Amino acid sequence: MTLRKAAPVLALTALLLSGPPAHAGNTLIAKAQAVAVAKSALTITPDREWNKMGARPGRNSETWTLDGDGLNDVTFYGGIETDRTLFREVNKRVKPLPRFSATMLLPDIPALLENSYRIALATPLMTIESVAPCTFAGAKGVTFTYRFTRPDEEVRRKGEGYAAIIAGKLYMATFEAPDIYYYDRDIASFRALAASARIGATPNP
Amino acid sequence: MPRLRRFALLGAAAVLGIAASVPRPPLPPYAGAYEPQSVDERGLWMQLDEAERTLRDSAFVVKDATLTGYVRAVLCRTVGVERCMGTRVYVIRDPEFNASMTPNGTLVVNTGLFMRVRDEAELAAVLGHEFAHFEQRHGLHRFQHSRSMTDVAAWMGVIAASGASYQIRSAAVDVSHSTIGSIFAFNRDEEREADMLGAKYMLAAGYDPKALPDIWTRAMDEADATSFGRKQKSHRYDRLSFFASHPTNLERATYLRGLVAGMGQGDTGHDALRTAIKPLRGAFIADQLKLNDFGGTEYLFGQLAGDAWDAELLRARGDLYRARGNPRDLVSAAGFYAQAIALDPADADAYRGLGLARLRGGDAQGAEALKRYLALRPDAPDRAMIQALLP
Repeated sequence: MTLRKAAPVLALTALLLSGPPAHAGNTLIAKAQAVAVAKSALTITPDREWNKMGARPGRNSETWTLDGDGLNDVTFYGGIETDRTLFREVNKRVKPLPRFSATMLLPDIPALLENSYRIALATPLMTIESVAPCTFAGAKGVTFTYRFTRPDEEVRRKGEGYAAIIAGKLYMATFEAPDIYYYDRDIASFRALAASARIGATPNP
Repeated sequence: MPRLRRFALLGAAAVLGIAASVPRPPLPPYAGAYEPQSVDERGLWMQLDEAERTLRDSAFVVKDATLTGYVRAVLCRTVGVERCMGTRVYVIRDPEFNASMTPNGTLVVNTGLFMRVRDEAELAAVLGHEFAHFEQRHGLHRFQHSRSMTDVAAWMGVIAASGASYQIRSAAVDVSHSTIGSIFAFNRDEEREADMLGAKYMLAAGYDPKALPDIWTRAMDEADATSFGRKQKSHRYDRLSFFASHPTNLERATYLRGLVAGMGQGDTGHDALRTAIKPLRGAFIADQLKLNDFGGTEYLFGQLAGDAWDAELLRARGDLYRARGNPRDLVSAAGFYAQAIALDPADADAYRGLGLARLRGGDAQGAEALKRYLALRPDAPDRAMIQALLP
């Protein structure tokens, strides 16, 4: 058997041996149906279809996208408890991430996201651009905008977030997309998601 | 080229003139404008020229002509005008302590370096070390060594790793995102050689030789402070792993101290460095604060302050404690903000920090400080958010 003929057989064998590939968990989110997100009591009722990524940034978070998470990335953080990081540590010993605390004030939340991004992405080019009060998931919250560039690709990205501390846990939704085209095109879809956020609403009524 | 050669002689005479009082070790001869010679060297330079074009356009380069010009001036004084003609200087936004130089003459300096060198002599020591790698063509030697192993993977890796660099604090710090600026490029003998030649440049330029060992001593102290703050064990300085590319900081500090013993005093350039980085110090401090490194940052602020804490450093120290956020930290933070306000009663950000520290600590008096913040800064970007915290 030549190498070329063997390749599909080998690939199939590898597939059978390795189980489902990493992206297999991606699922379609139907529109107009409330869904619980980020393994928490936070529910979202989308007004259009979204894709949910199989890979989670951390144990209490999940990512939705329209065209791929490099182009439009909505991440929900559901009930981050005191002394937990926002997402998975990249290197706990050398570059530990900052941790949430229930005693934090609302203006501390954008700073927590900023520092976590700076450390996890190894970029100093991450800044919070604006901070304002808002209502999120029926509670007093904070909304903020930010801007960052990852060192490995130099694409300028913009982001917007909504967060609230409810019963000592952090609930947050963020949207980020390249500054060129995608951010402006999709920000309205994200705001619709954030506006539909509720705590404890029954999914699929 | 008779003219070039004459310039070289003049440059050498000028350098020797400064150093005439004390016998100094001679510098190696320098050929002026240099073109890569061998096939290997031309190939390496081609790759690095491409990497430099990418770096030049990167958003991470600090486009501050004054600071870049200052670094260039220090390099030129250290290694001589003739030698520094073959280099380009880039300051990149990276709060870690690092500098690197590639075989084609691209000098990259992290902003974190400016927070950690105490005076111009220390900056000259670092730049001289990097230039020594360049002059001795250590990058090319690594490249040729790896090529001879005919391992394609290693060969490609070396292109990425051919930037001259040393890493002081932790090897895992990620500066490898650009082809320029990477770690473990050289072996221990080459590092030692660069240390020695770098010392010769510095001494010839009339800088204070004590700067050399001092950098390494403080690097060890800072690393210890970082470990302590993270409840980790201290790094060991007295032994070296088999694969380590750099001498340990302790070994370095020790042999450099031996080298400079009895060489007398020189110019430290303390005020020159302070003046040069003053406009950007606030930005460098802000980047450092966001590294989530309580112990190392506290040590660094103490070093920057020396005997006298200024308002900016006190406020930054308050921010550091407030971010860690234990009840005792919030009390300490409020104290630092209050000291900053005593030094500068118009410091709006200190009032903001004071108010937030008190409110987070459950002290309703914080509201008064926040009102003062809003009064001092009527156009505060977070006005609505701060007002929402007030009763």
